[in-house]
Amino acid sequence: MSQATLRIQKISAHSGTVPGEDTQRQYQVCKLVDTTTCIGCKACEVACVEWNDMPFSPTAFGNTYQTMPETRWNYWNLILFNEHEREDGTLQWLMRKHQCMHCAEPGCLEACPADGAIVQYTNGIVDFQQANCIGCGYCITGCPFNIPKFNNVTKRMYKCSLCADRVSEGLEPACIKSCPTGCLHFGSKDDMTELAGIRAKQLRDHYGYDKAGVYDPPGVGGTGVIYVLHDATQPELYGGLPSNPSIPLAVKFWKHPLKWLGNIAMVGGLIGLFVHYLKFGPKAREEADLAPKGGA
Amino acid sequence: MTNGWVDIKNADMILVMGGNPAENHPCGFKWVIEAKRNRNAKLIVVDPRFTRTASVSDFFAQIRVGTDIAFLGGLIRYLIENQRYNKEYLVNFTNAGFIVDKEFKLPEDEGVFSGFDEKSLSYNRATWNYEGSGGKPAAAKPGQPAGLPGLPERVDFDPTLQNPRCVFQLLKAHYSRYTPEMVERVTGIPREKYLQACDLFTSIRKDGDTKKVATVIYALGWTQHSFGTQNIRTAAMIQLLMGNVGRAGGGVNALRGHSNIQGATDMAGIFDNLPGYLKVPIPADGSFEGWMKRITPTPSKPGDWASFNYWSNTPKFAVSLMKAFYGDAATKQNEWAYDYLPKVDRNYSWVNIWDNMYNGVVKGLFAFGMNGVMIGPDSNKNIDALKKADWVVVGEIYPDETSEFWRSPGITQEEMKKIQTTVYRLPCAGFAEKDGSFTNSARWLQWKNAALPIPPGCRSDQGIVAQIFLKTRELYQKEGGKFPDPILKLTWAYTNPSDPSLAEVLKEINGKTFADAEDPATKQQIKAGQQVPSFAWLKDDGTTSSGNWIYCGAYTEAGNLTMRRDPADPSGLGVHPNWAWSWPVNRRVLYNRASCNVDGKPWDATRKQVWWNEGTQKWAGVDVPDFKADSHPKDHMGPFIMNPEGVGRIFGPLGAFADGPFPTFYEPVESPVENNLLHPKQRHSPVVRRYKTPDDKYGSVKDGYTVICTTYRLTEHYHYWTKNNPMNVQLVPEPFVEISEEMAAEMGLQGGERIKVSSARGAYIAKAMVTKRIKAMTIDGKKTYQIGIPIHWGYRGIAEDEGKTAKTPVNLLSPTVVDPNAYTPEFKGFLVKVEKA
Amino acid sequence: MKPRGMIGYHPEQIIPHDHILRYSFKERMNHWIAAGSFIYLMLTGLAFWTPWLFWIATMLGGAELSRMLHPWIGLVFFVSVCYMFTLWASQMNFEPVDKEWWNSLGHYIRNQDDQMPPAGRYNAGQKLLFWSFFIGGLLLLASGLVLWFTESIPWNLRWLRYLAVIVHAGTALLTIGNFMIHVYMGVFAERGAFGSVIRGDVSLAFAKRYHPGWYKEIVGETETQK
Repeated sequence: MSQATLRIQKISAHSGTVPGEDTQRQYQVCKLVDTTTCIGCKACEVACVEWNDMPFSPTAFGNTYQTMPETRWNYWNLILFNEHEREDGTLQWLMRKHQCMHCAEPGCLEACPADGAIVQYTNGIVDFQQANCIGCGYCITGCPFNIPKFNNVTKRMYKCSLCADRVSEGLEPACIKSCPTGCLHFGSKDDMTELAGIRAKQLRDHYGYDKAGVYDPPGVGGTGVIYVLHDATQPELYGGLPSNPSIPLAVKFWKHPLKWLGNIAMVGGLIGLFVHYLKFGPKAREEADLAPKGGA
Repeated sequence: MTNGWVDIKNADMILVMGGNPAENHPCGFKWVIEAKRNRNAKLIVVDPRFTRTASVSDFFAQIRVGTDIAFLGGLIRYLIENQRYNKEYLVNFTNAGFIVDKEFKLPEDEGVFSGFDEKSLSYNRATWNYEGSGGKPAAAKPGQPAGLPGLPERVDFDPTLQNPRCVFQLLKAHYSRYTPEMVERVTGIPREKYLQACDLFTSIRKDGDTKKVATVIYALGWTQHSFGTQNIRTAAMIQLLMGNVGRAGGGVNALRGHSNIQGATDMAGIFDNLPGYLKVPIPADGSFEGWMKRITPTPSKPGDWASFNYWSNTPKFAVSLMKAFYGDAATKQNEWAYDYLPKVDRNYSWVNIWDNMYNGVVKGLFAFGMNGVMIGPDSNKNIDALKKADWVVVGEIYPDETSEFWRSPGITQEEMKKIQTTVYRLPCAGFAEKDGSFTNSARWLQWKNAALPIPPGCRSDQGIVAQIFLKTRELYQKEGGKFPDPILKLTWAYTNPSDPSLAEVLKEINGKTFADAEDPATKQQIKAGQQVPSFAWLKDDGTTSSGNWIYCGAYTEAGNLTMRRDPADPSGLGVHPNWAWSWPVNRRVLYNRASCNVDGKPWDATRKQVWWNEGTQKWAGVDVPDFKADSHPKDHMGPFIMNPEGVGRIFGPLGAFADGPFPTFYEPVESPVENNLLHPKQRHSPVVRRYKTPDDKYGSVKDGYTVICTTYRLTEHYHYWTKNNPMNVQLVPEPFVEISEEMAAEMGLQGGERIKVSSARGAYIAKAMVTKRIKAMTIDGKKTYQIGIPIHWGYRGIAEDEGKTAKTPVNLLSPTVVDPNAYTPEFKGFLVKVEKA
Repeated sequence: MKPRGMIGYHPEQIIPHDHILRYSFKERMNHWIAAGSFIYLMLTGLAFWTPWLFWIATMLGGAELSRMLHPWIGLVFFVSVCYMFTLWASQMNFEPVDKEWWNSLGHYIRNQDDQMPPAGRYNAGQKLLFWSFFIGGLLLLASGLVLWFTESIPWNLRWLRYLAVIVHAGTALLTIGNFMIHVYMGVFAERGAFGSVIRGDVSLAFAKRYHPGWYKEIVGETETQK
């Protein structure tokens, strides 16, 4: 990664122009997670907690090797463990590193009402700016991957930053750095897509995974985290990875047609009432006018 | 490891059995993934559980705990039947063609080899020998009667492998009963599945292919059995049959369970070794000469072959070791201070130490870098033993179960008052606070720097040991004693005697020369006082010293080579010659002469490690040739230069093994199967003994112990240590027991409910993890359940101190039974019953 | 005593200077609690609704404070609306005259009040306003709770969140619309109405003009007058 000042190409709830749009030659960065070589060692989980210096929080036994049921505000990176019995009776123990997908079209940013609380840098990283966050949690609604998490003390939202701090210094994210098997790669989106494609082909050609493929869902414009899956037709098996994620329809409706409809209606209403007054005036000018005509 | 971690990337086929590298060696496991990614290698995992290693495997079979020899024996049968072996390798590089003693008998139905003595439960191994002529009395292990006949100097040999008394034919006969049907009944792996596994693994030798390579990776799942050594031997034999030893991407590879276990073993971690695997002197040796005579082998080979017999240099290594110990006090006149060495008169292995403490023989214990109560089998026995000790010294960074054995669960206040053991707890330095070298599984010595200063009040291990030594020496100086010399004359020439620098220690271990010397072949010279460049320079005349001959070359005049960090790998084979330093002599793959055929040409030209260079008339290579550099292939010198035969041992002759020259299937000491289906008249290993204290109880199906239990580690924790670390506790907060869905359904159990697992020795309480990853098995037609318990929890730790877990160490359950060769306890398979708690 | 032949007679509500007490102190107080909270909710809500109005939140002490107070003020509003319900619900039943009134809405808009059927204490528009705020309050509360504790909604119930954002925004828009009309009517269009929620009284003339039915109930109506 080139070292570059992080500039913003998308910004939440902002009424002006976007400061960083088309101001850099930066290319989109991408994490590649090859689930077929993940051994569930959780080094990435530890690296994430350590690099981001997050406080520990208690966990409980959950009949699984998975550290906790889902990510937390202080636990951004979680390997999901799923036991799956295939039709031929053989078992698969699927492990998927779950974290923010850094969507090209981020639902969180779309849903966010706070100016500058969520930004997308020109390298594609979607980052929460807690200083601007108002803790409304709309990003939770906007996210198709169940990522943003609320801190009840700071009243703000948190999630994986793709180690924007490291990436801007030319380093790979902490999780990538820690991965012992090379299941995690980091680079430009183009390179990662190519690498993922090669691996998927290898799985199809040499390892009998006819349906192996790359998960880079177009519904959110593609993601900054892409997966190689043994069976790309069933991403749900990997801890409920949605097969065709998109920004929820409700959020889209809310943020687009409803918003414009509402704005027009409100402005229209105001104008209408004003015009009504201009045309008809008050029902009675003076209190005295109220007296019935002809008097009693 | 015969090979190394990085070398796994050269494999085409990988068998992981008795190990779980993805979980326990995740960093090393990257090379398996590399092989898969870059060579389309296949990974076969055979394990009692579907592990995280299995999750990335290409073939998985669930095996009954402790039946690996049945599986591998059947594999030997399969590969012989289907000619999936490397004939040229087999004939020339192994003892397959050697003729075996006429009196030698296979176990067959009886289950014992020739020479078994029922009274002493041991073998007279005289018949476990080759036919031939010449030879001398063979080496004996401590406690074994000396005076066995030696290996014949000239061995009778049949290169056609047709002689019915040759090793190959005996091997074939021995495993002929290990049919897929029998394997299914014993191991629980369905016949079809088993044959698929055999076919896949041996497919690299299909149609006479000798290019491809398979590796075998194992760990404590093989060693921790009453037949652990033989588990590994079976694998070694398979690798010899297929011609995979000595080759890049091949070998038999032990994954060590700690960062420096290899180093501990190299530096005499076992009671019957001195550093560098020199056998300890025994009382019967009588003199230095007698000792040398017993432990220095002479060649034993077919007449027209050559054998390097590298152990013939034993006296050079032994004298240099004595010079390292005693310096000027070790002279030819006083037999190199032979009298100063303790003579080992019996078995002082781990389990025996605790047994002796229990019986009042051992009065005190130093426990450094280990948690004695937890790591041995039968924790209750260990706790009871400590109650009887006078004192125990624990050097640790946390208060642990050993230093707080007196408050283990179940000990009442009243009982506590009666415990008279004095506990000394010495605050030590943690691993990141110390420098020094780690010797990894790949035999690499890698230097590490201290990352943090030692906290105030704590001391380094060597500082503590040094101060104890200096005090002891002072006492001897002041008060004399029965035999003060071994202490008073010990070399202790460190800059800071009370806290020696480990670099100085490594320098001492490497050794130096006391006189100018010249290598006659290369004319290279070294001066008196210089570091010895390699063990080839060691002499038996007292002019060299070396604390461990195999580490000779680690710290030379060129400096501390273990600090080297050049990642360059010009050959691309993962040799990395200038990264750290690998014993012996920076060689990365052992026996690498065997990577070439008889004529000295690599089996696979794309993976050239060493080769015979006709031009220079020398062996050359990208790795350091493990061979006599100028031995022409015509000389037919065997590649296994550490064996007197010069070849790999498919048949382990004479004293090599206590329990048989061929691995034979026996049931674990606690097994749900009443009969040994393969050798019906001998259920358990005939030479395995049970211990006799009241704490040593053994369970059987009759007593209701019907469930097989195995133990293991998790990626998220490190032994009994990380339960003190919040990050690890967050990852896996509390103990659990993995059980199959079938068993849970039968018990009416939900995941997360507490269950009590009891063996004849104790009970363990934890939550149940109900999983698809362990399945009920059909063993000899009977439904059998296996369960698994991670070992990491005890009665001290974050959750334990907060009262959040049941505080029971898992080794409360495991039995005191040991392998007769390596004395490793049988942690991996024993019987329990399971109920709701 | 009620004079014979009169259909309604509540002279006690007639206060000096020919005024009628339209709203008691409790009613007025509650109205302004509802009004105040609604205005706050509307302003902060609009700040979150569109970036163009985000400045409102800044003016009100910052968006974080707005985010924090909005749900609590929402509760105040809801309680106030509930109290309104207990005060007025019984008077808000739609009656036949309301339908007539509704059909004559065009006249009402054109200020042709003399052509309107006689409304009671509340005309149909006011009743509609009442119910829209009451039902709107319920919906806003229900959806608002989902949004307030949005992080506690389990992932498999995420449709609740989707429903909530639409319901909350949609209902808010409708109530804001009604609110604008209400304010316009009360402040600009109907002279005297504003006073009724301040002082509590309206003039008899006001009552007679806009709420003839109610007027009759108060002053009574003789057969002859009819």
